[in-house]
Amino acid sequence: MALIDVRGLSKTYKVADKQPGFAGTLRHFLQRRYRDVAAVQDVSFQIAPGEMVGFLGANGAGKTTTLKMLCGLIYPSDGDVQVAGHRPQRRQAEFLRRITLVMGQKQQLMWDLPPLDSLRVNAAVYGIPDDVARRRTSELADLLELGEELTRPVRKLSLGQRMKAELLAALLHEPEVLFLDEPTLGLDVNAQSRVRQFLAEYNRRTGATVLLTSHYMADITALCQRVLLIHQGRLFHDGPLEVLADQLAPEREVHLELERPAQSDAFEGLGRLERIEGCEVRLLVPRDQLTIVVAQLLERFPVRDLDVKDPPIEELIGGLFRQGRV
Amino acid sequence: MGRYWRTLRRFWSTAVAVQLEYQANVLIELLAVAMSLGGSLFLLSLFYGPDQTLGGWSWAQALMVQGLYTVFDGMASTWLRPNLGAIVTHVREGTLDFVLLKPIDSQFWLSLRTLSPGGLPEIALGFALLIYGSVQAGVVLTLPSLFTVLVMLLAGGLILYSLWFLIAATSIWFVKTWNATEVLRALLASGRYPLNAYPPALRLLFTLVLPVAFLTTVPAQVLLGEAAAPMLLAGLALAVLFFSVARAFWLFALRFYTSASS
Amino acid sequence: MRIFGLNRRIIRVLLGSQYAHMLEYRAEIALWALSGVLPFIMLSVWSGSEARLGLGLDGVALDRYFLSAFLVRQFSVVWVVYAFEEDALLGRLSPYLLQPLHPLWRYVAAHLGEQLTRLPFAALIAAVFFVAQPQAFWLPSLGGFLLAWLATWLAFAIAFLFQSLIAALCFWSEKASALERLQFIPFVFLSGLLAPLTAFPPGVRALAQWTPFPYLIDFPARLLAGQPVDLIAGFAAQLAWVALLLPLVLLLWRAGVRRYSAMGA
Repeated sequence: MALIDVRGLSKTYKVADKQPGFAGTLRHFLQRRYRDVAAVQDVSFQIAPGEMVGFLGANGAGKTTTLKMLCGLIYPSDGDVQVAGHRPQRRQAEFLRRITLVMGQKQQLMWDLPPLDSLRVNAAVYGIPDDVARRRTSELADLLELGEELTRPVRKLSLGQRMKAELLAALLHEPEVLFLDEPTLGLDVNAQSRVRQFLAEYNRRTGATVLLTSHYMADITALCQRVLLIHQGRLFHDGPLEVLADQLAPEREVHLELERPAQSDAFEGLGRLERIEGCEVRLLVPRDQLTIVVAQLLERFPVRDLDVKDPPIEELIGGLFRQGRV
Repeated sequence: MGRYWRTLRRFWSTAVAVQLEYQANVLIELLAVAMSLGGSLFLLSLFYGPDQTLGGWSWAQALMVQGLYTVFDGMASTWLRPNLGAIVTHVREGTLDFVLLKPIDSQFWLSLRTLSPGGLPEIALGFALLIYGSVQAGVVLTLPSLFTVLVMLLAGGLILYSLWFLIAATSIWFVKTWNATEVLRALLASGRYPLNAYPPALRLLFTLVLPVAFLTTVPAQVLLGEAAAPMLLAGLALAVLFFSVARAFWLFALRFYTSASS
Repeated sequence: MRIFGLNRRIIRVLLGSQYAHMLEYRAEIALWALSGVLPFIMLSVWSGSEARLGLGLDGVALDRYFLSAFLVRQFSVVWVVYAFEEDALLGRLSPYLLQPLHPLWRYVAAHLGEQLTRLPFAALIAAVFFVAQPQAFWLPSLGGFLLAWLATWLAFAIAFLFQSLIAALCFWSEKASALERLQFIPFVFLSGLLAPLTAFPPGVRALAQWTPFPYLIDFPARLLAGQPVDLIAGFAAQLAWVALLLPLVLLLWRAGVRRYSAMGA
C-alpha cells in the first residue's frame, strides 16, 4: 500500500509577458498577454512507507513545485495526489500532524531566541504534552549531537547548528512523512555528512518516509536507493541510481597506455575510439561487452596500463541538463 | 480550544522574551509616547479658548476622545503592527509556507503570534486620560454603561483589527504594504477629534466606510450617556461585518497563494 | 567641473536611472502621496471650529493654506535614513563608498526621482480638492510661485541634511534611526502641518521660530498660498539652517566612513 500516491500530476502557471523598458511597461499595462507555463506535467509515482527517495532535477525543473504540491502548499492543476490517505491541498490538521517540511534556505526558528523557545511553541501548536515534548527533544538532540546550542539565541548559531535545530523543530511531532528541500544547502562538508547520518538513522529508527531534493549528489547516493529525476516538468527516471547511470551512460571509458604507438584502425570492432595520441588511447565500450573487449585488448596490444572508469553521475546529469537532451 | 489557549500563552511568553533582548528600545518608545501625547494635547488646546467648544464638545469631553484614541493607538503598536506587519515578511521570505503547514488556523497564528510590550504604556496613558476627562466632564458611571462601553471598545478593536488585517492580507499580491498601512493610519488620525467636529459628508465617511467614529466618539458618548441605541447596534453590526469580510478575504488570498505561487 | 565627484554627465545618468527606478514603484509612491492627507483632515476640523477666527486666515485663505501645506510636504518628504539603513543591511553600502562619488548624491537623485514620480499623484489629489472646494481655486503669481518653489527646495534641503546627520550617526549606533522617529514628533506639531503657526500662543510660537520646523512647512506654504510673509527673515532662516547643517553633515559623514572602513565591515 503506497503512502504517497501521485497520478497524472500537473501544474500550469499563467505568466504575464512583459518587455523591458518604458514602452514594454505601457504595453503590459494596456494589453496584458499571458502565457501558460507548464511547471509539472503528468507526473506519476508511488512511494511505500519507510522509503527514502531522492528527487533530482536542475533549477526550475519542477522539483520544488512537486514537493509543495505533496505538502499541500500548491494546488495541482490536474491529476491526483494522496499522502498518508489525505488530499494534501485540503491541509487538514490530521494530515499536517503527519508530515513535515524542511527547507534549507528558509527557517522557522525565531531568530532572537534559543531554539528551545521555538520548540515550546511547536509543542503547543501540535498539542504535544510537555513531558512528551521534553523526552522527544532530548532524544532528537542526542541523535543530532545538539546540547547547549539549544539554549543559545538562534542568531548566534553556526549554519550547521541552525540546520540541526531546524530539523529538531520539524520532527518534534514525529511526522511519518518528511519532505526535505535542499536540507544541506550551504553547509560545510562535515555538517553535511552529520545531517546525512542523522537522516539515515532517523529513517532506520522510526520507519519514516523521506522525500529529499538536493544539489549535492553525495546526499542522494548516501541516502536514497531510489531516485526520481524530473526534467522540464516531466518524470524522466524512477528507479535505482545505478540504473539511471546505465541509462545516462550506457558506455564505460577504457583508458590504455601502450608500450609503443598504435594505428587507429587497429581498434576496429573494439568499441568507439575517442582519442589516440601516441601511446595514450581512450575507448568508449558498451557495458555488456566490457570483459570481452578488455580481454581482446590485452591479447592484441602491448599494454603497460589499463584503467576502466565510470563517468561520475553528477557530470552525467549535469551534462544531460546542459545539452537539453532527454 | 485548549490547544489554542496553550499556544497563545506560549506565543506571548516568547514575545516578551524577545523584547527583553532589546531593552533599550523600551526607553525610546516611552519617550516617543510621552512626546506624542504632549503634542496631541497641545494641538487640541489650540481649539479651546475661553468658552469655546469643538463640534459642541467641551474640553473635558474632547479629552475623553483623545484618551480613547491613545488607547487604540497603543493597541496598534502593541498588537497590530508587530503581527500584521510580519505577514509581508513571511510572504517575501517564503516562511508563510511553515505557517500554512501548522495544524492551527493560519489567521490565528499570523494575528496573535507576538506582542510588543512597548505599546502598553501608551494604552495605560490613554486610559488615564480617559478617566481624567470623564471625571472632569462629570461622568456618572453605572454598571450598564460600563458594560456597554466595554462591548463598544471590543467592537472598535475588532473593526480596527479587521481593517488592518485586510490591508495586510493584500501582501499576498504586493511586495510591500506598509505604505497602504500608512494611508490607513493617516485616515485613522481623524479619530482624535469628536465626530461632530467634521463636516456632514466626512461624518458619514467616518461612520460607514471607515468607521473611526466607533473607535472613539461612540464609546465616549456611551460614557456621557448620549449614545443612541441605533448607533450602538450599527457599531456591533459593522464589527461583525468587517471581521467576516477580513476572514473571507484571507481565505480567498490563501486560495490565490496556493494556486499561483511557485 | 566636479563638486564632490559630481559632473554634468553623472547628474544626467543618476537622475535618469533613479527616475526610471522610481517609476517602477509608482503604485507605492501613489500610496505615499495619499498617506499625506493629514492636512486635509485638520483643515476640516479647523474650518468648523470656533477657534478658526484667531488664525487670521479668513474664508478660502484657510483652504489654500492647508492645500499648500499638503503640497509642500509632498515635495519635501525625506527618507534617507531608511534607504541608508536598508543599504547598510543588504551590504550595498560598501561598493557605494568605493565609488568616486559622494554616496549622499545617490540619495539626493533618488529623492528627486521620487518627487518627479509623485508629481502627477499630488496634482491629482489637488485637483480632487478643487472639485470639492471650487471657491478655493487660485493660481499663484509667477513670482510668488517661484519663491514658494525655492522655499520648498530649501525646506527639502534642510530636511535632507537633518536626516543625513542622523544617518551618519548610524555608523556609530544601530539605535540612531530611532532619533528620526523622535524628531518627527515635534516636526509634525511645530511645522504648521496640523495647525498654522498663527494658532500658537505667542510664547510657543516664538520658541518654534528657533527650531527648523516652521521653515519646513509653514513658511513655504504661506508663500504658495499668497499670504503675507516676512520674505527676508524666512529665507535667511532657511539658509542659516542649511549653512549650519551642511558642514556638520560632511564632517560627521567623513568620520563615520573612516570608522566604518576601520572596522572592516
